[in-house]
Amino acid sequence: MTDLPDVWIQGAPPHIHLPSLPALTTLVVHVHTDRPSPHLTNILFSIGSVPMLTSITIKYERPTLLSHPPLEHLWADVDRWLSRIAKHAKVEGGLPLTMMRWALWEGFFPEFRESGGRVEVDNGG
Amino acid sequence: MDSIPQELIDAIIDNVSQTSLPSCSLVAKRWQRRSQQRILATISFLSEGEVWCWCTDITWGPDRISSYVRHVKIDEIYSWHEPALLSRMLGSLSSLTALSIYRTNIPDEFSGSISRGELGKGITTLDLRYLNYMLSTLTSMILSLPDLKELHIEDCDGAPGGPLPTYSVTPQRGPLDSLELLEQAGGIGETLAKFRFTSRRLTLGMYIAGMEQLLLLSSQTVVELHLYGV
Repeated sequence: MTDLPDVWIQGAPPHIHLPSLPALTTLVVHVHTDRPSPHLTNILFSIGSVPMLTSITIKYERPTLLSHPPLEHLWADVDRWLSRIAKHAKVEGGLPLTMMRWALWEGFFPEFRESGGRVEVDNGG
Repeated sequence: MDSIPQELIDAIIDNVSQTSLPSCSLVAKRWQRRSQQRILATISFLSEGEVWCWCTDITWGPDRISSYVRHVKIDEIYSWHEPALLSRMLGSLSSLTALSIYRTNIPDEFSGSISRGELGKGITTLDLRYLNYMLSTLTSMILSLPDLKELHIEDCDGAPGGPLPTYSVTPQRGPLDSLELLEQAGGIGETLAKFRFTSRRLTLGMYIAGMEQLLLLSSQTVVELHLYGV
């Protein structure tokens, strides 16, 4: 944890502020590490509720697939903000979150799942 | 063979692989046109010599197959002995809708022709990658394409220099269908924001200068958002 920025440790989302995106249906974020960056946390925090959102994808962009699950405690804030988004989503069957090129264990993102979100893993792309 | 409806022949040709199309074009006269349309839908030029051959051998031929070309890719032409050749070649393509330029030195004659409106009408997709450019030249080209719907810029080092285009009234344009601005786009992001570009599909690198302004401008229209480098 020591190499993470202070702002991340304190849980305050830094950097970019997304404006209100009332027409957004699809959000795809491309990440390069197996731990969430302050940018990712901040994007999910600031996106808040998007009434039209029907899918979120987090794509791991490194050439090799992750062989081990990411550390869950590092993703707790992401889980929290995803959960808030899922509660506001109006998708039948729950908001789908596609994790592309990740090795996840079944219970990953527990708060998101409890809020009606669905986690799908896609290792094809 | 004559009893087969043309629509059925066209449907067959539309479903064969690209490598089989030359053979298809030789089956019969009725197979030729559709096969050639597919063969020539996208053409690539990898040297000035190839552009020269197109201009001399193809463009002025009797069968006007140049009208079949929809998408031109130009790659790795670092210098031009005849700078007007690129404009001549593109000017011969009456149905061109997409233009990709990679690793190529674009002659001033070409960007000037576009900026003056002599070229570029009908082009809906512009894809620029790995270019080393004067920002003002690039901006003039983009702003001068009246039908532009999709713009992709990646690894274009838009070096400052030269005045940016000035308009007493900013050109009116509706939202693009797609705007992709990936890494090392120089000052292009800020410039597009200055000219109030918006898009329904937005793909942005997190470290693009002007990224937040572009997001804000498109906030009411963006349907699909891709963020890279998160």
